Amino acid sequence: MAAIDIPEVHKFIDVTPPFANLSTAERKQILVGVAMVYVRQGQTMLLEGDSATVHLIRRGACEIRTPKGGLVDQIADGECFGVSSVMAQNPDGLQVVAMEDSLVYRFDKACFKEMLTQNEAFGLFFEHTQHHRRRKLSRSQDKELASPALQLSTSVEHIMTRQLITAQASETVQTIAMRMTEARVSSILVVEQEKLIGIVTDRDLRSRILALGGSAQSLVAEVMTTTPITLTPSALVMQAQTLMSESNIHHLPIVEADNKVIGMLTAADLLRHQELSPLLFINQIHRQNSVESLARICQQWPTLIINLIVTDMKPADIGKVLATVSDNLTKRLIELALLELGEAPMAFQFLVFGSQARRDQSLGSDQDNGLMLAREPNAEEAEYFAHLADFVCQGLAQCGIRLCPGNIMASNAQWRKTRQGWQQVFEKWIKSAAPSALLNASIFFDLRCVYGDDQPLQILIENMQKEVAKNSMFLATLTRTAIANKPPLGFFRSFLLESSGEHKHQLDLKHQGLALINDLARLYGLSCKEYREGTVERLEQAIRERLISVDTARNLMDAWDHLNGLRLEAQSLHWQATGTASAYLDPKKLSSLERKHLKTTFSIINDVQEVAQQRFMRGYS
Amino acid sequence: MWCRILEVFKHWRQQRYSIRRTWSDWEYLVLDIETSGLDPKQDHIVSIGWVCIKQGAIDLDSARHLILEEAQAGENVGIHMITDSDIQQYGKKQESALRYLRHFLRGRVLVMHHAPLEIGFLKAAWKQHVLPNFGLIWLDTLMLEKAKAERAQQPIQEGGFRLNQCRERYHLPDYQGHDALTDALATAELLLAQIAYQGKGCRLYDLSVMAGGKSRLAPR
Repeated sequence: MAAIDIPEVHKFIDVTPPFANLSTAERKQILVGVAMVYVRQGQTMLLEGDSATVHLIRRGACEIRTPKGGLVDQIADGECFGVSSVMAQNPDGLQVVAMEDSLVYRFDKACFKEMLTQNEAFGLFFEHTQHHRRRKLSRSQDKELASPALQLSTSVEHIMTRQLITAQASETVQTIAMRMTEARVSSILVVEQEKLIGIVTDRDLRSRILALGGSAQSLVAEVMTTTPITLTPSALVMQAQTLMSESNIHHLPIVEADNKVIGMLTAADLLRHQELSPLLFINQIHRQNSVESLARICQQWPTLIINLIVTDMKPADIGKVLATVSDNLTKRLIELALLELGEAPMAFQFLVFGSQARRDQSLGSDQDNGLMLAREPNAEEAEYFAHLADFVCQGLAQCGIRLCPGNIMASNAQWRKTRQGWQQVFEKWIKSAAPSALLNASIFFDLRCVYGDDQPLQILIENMQKEVAKNSMFLATLTRTAIANKPPLGFFRSFLLESSGEHKHQLDLKHQGLALINDLARLYGLSCKEYREGTVERLEQAIRERLISVDTARNLMDAWDHLNGLRLEAQSLHWQATGTASAYLDPKKLSSLERKHLKTTFSIINDVQEVAQQRFMRGYS
Repeated sequence: MWCRILEVFKHWRQQRYSIRRTWSDWEYLVLDIETSGLDPKQDHIVSIGWVCIKQGAIDLDSARHLILEEAQAGENVGIHMITDSDIQQYGKKQESALRYLRHFLRGRVLVMHHAPLEIGFLKAAWKQHVLPNFGLIWLDTLMLEKAKAERAQQPIQEGGFRLNQCRERYHLPDYQGHDALTDALATAELLLAQIAYQGKGCRLYDLSVMAGGKSRLAPR
């Protein structure tokens, strides 16, 4: 008997593609024989027997995995799985794991097959889905060197501790210390009507009570950290890691929107969760006492990057994780240098430029850095800093971050200056309208401090921004250099490929794509009132200051994400094959759909270049 | 004499067997009844909706929605959205609707959200139409939810056992309609969720102990 009208089922099917495009009669037809099942979070569905058919998620989220646990795809409400089992008997043995409790419609195999042939558009839709998953599948199988246990893309909810050890602000530290000992935990949450108001850790008890000879009868309210850093349960494991390593904390309370605390995540939870994680890597870096042992640890660096790529982390996030790791590596090298050379004769800042400053590093990024000194050094002091810079730059090179071919490094005396010295350099660049002066200097405008007091750098940046605002000529010149290189979109809508050399007929994703976007973002970023280092952050700031339309900026961010993803993937494949990173892409290896997407991406860059030209070069061209 | 002993033995074997069977070996009919009020003695059935669970999955083809001709929509129209014209157009005789239901109930476990009310109305209707004796095994999703909350020692606030609130706890979608069929489907989904949370190897026996019973519908 045909399925009769169940309003809530029709309401959903009517708005879910591709079912929405079926006729009313066809929709009724496809619903014949449909069953509904409920799957608990973590449960695996094998697509065999009766279940070897198309399923549609009504509510929930699932991961499609290979038999070995490699991630193929993540899907949620309104998306289908089991497509390949209908079309080709699930040859790959894919499994579906529920990431959330899920309510799922299970279609009747015969009815579904009939509809695939009956309605061409409907059939095409599922062929596409299948094709798409196949591609993802082959990618995830290419990368099986990565451990399947590594799942940075899961939410913290799955690995947090739900047994909460809590205290009232009015209790004494002795009573909570006893409770913590009993529960064998290193932190306790201070709550008031289920809402989080503070946290006390072992370290607090040590440094705020014991070290100061405080009383065991002191109140929790006096020693707790108020308004601690927290995350929501839907945050990703990766975010938790980055937050912990950046803020140097080991306990993260997990709270819901109304600050109601529901869980606790510790560094130990994270470590248990993964084998090679950025956090573990950073911890290891801080434990090494020589450049040699650091270099040995850093041999895992490419594996870490490839792991991050495999987990389908967003390229922007990968860049941030890598920047956090290299910041910590740099810091550790400076600490080692100070141990070897003795204390520095004056305060100093270690500056980074370019990709590290923008936090979009990838495999094979080289170093760009410099030193900022508190005052003009005498000969002896100058020598000290030369040694220090040499130590750090050579150390970074040994750890796998290549020396800068353009010699923009702290080890070059030219890039060790006082704040006033740096200011003069920036002023010179900004005032001289010669494009040649800017061509090689633009990466200096991406700058960040990774060691030392950040304050002097902020003053430098503030002054630089003021100088830029005074010189509209500068922005025009910067625009000219930013749009001098065009994305490789030829007149005949075909690729203008590198015509010679090793990478003949290949596309340079970095120089012909990403760099162009970075240039545009820098241009907008420098015309903003607030300084931002990252490309995405700059575009967002430009939106906030209404210098760029939301659409234009978003398009450019998407383009950046897309190219970054392609670059990371190309690099990791190349790395696995040859041991060197290359950001070259052979367009022949792309499907026609991907080629089309890439062309769109390039035309977006082209469009924004024109917008920028209109904005910044009016009257100067 | 021997026949009698054999009979008893067979019955005992069957019972043993049914205790061991997992829940999905049974078929279920999940029912919702819309009525003109809350008192089976005075009020009457307006519409009946049901859907069956077979092999652990809700079978959408089995969904039925019956509107009874005796129903006077009256003041409750705002709740169940059945108007007098609906009744005139689709209305079925209550007796034939009940016989139809009885046919589907055979060999199935009856499931309801808040069983006492539904069973009260069924009992009253059985008497009214002098329908044949009918024994049934039933489960109550509301009782199941209560029993689980008690076990977990999680007090649930007032109103927390209403169908929609129960469903929310299992991340089930929020259904807008409240006709007998939608509520029957909503209850069926809730049952699947509740069972999924019981863990592997859940038996009908376990569910009955927590929130079930046997009833007899009789002509008088």
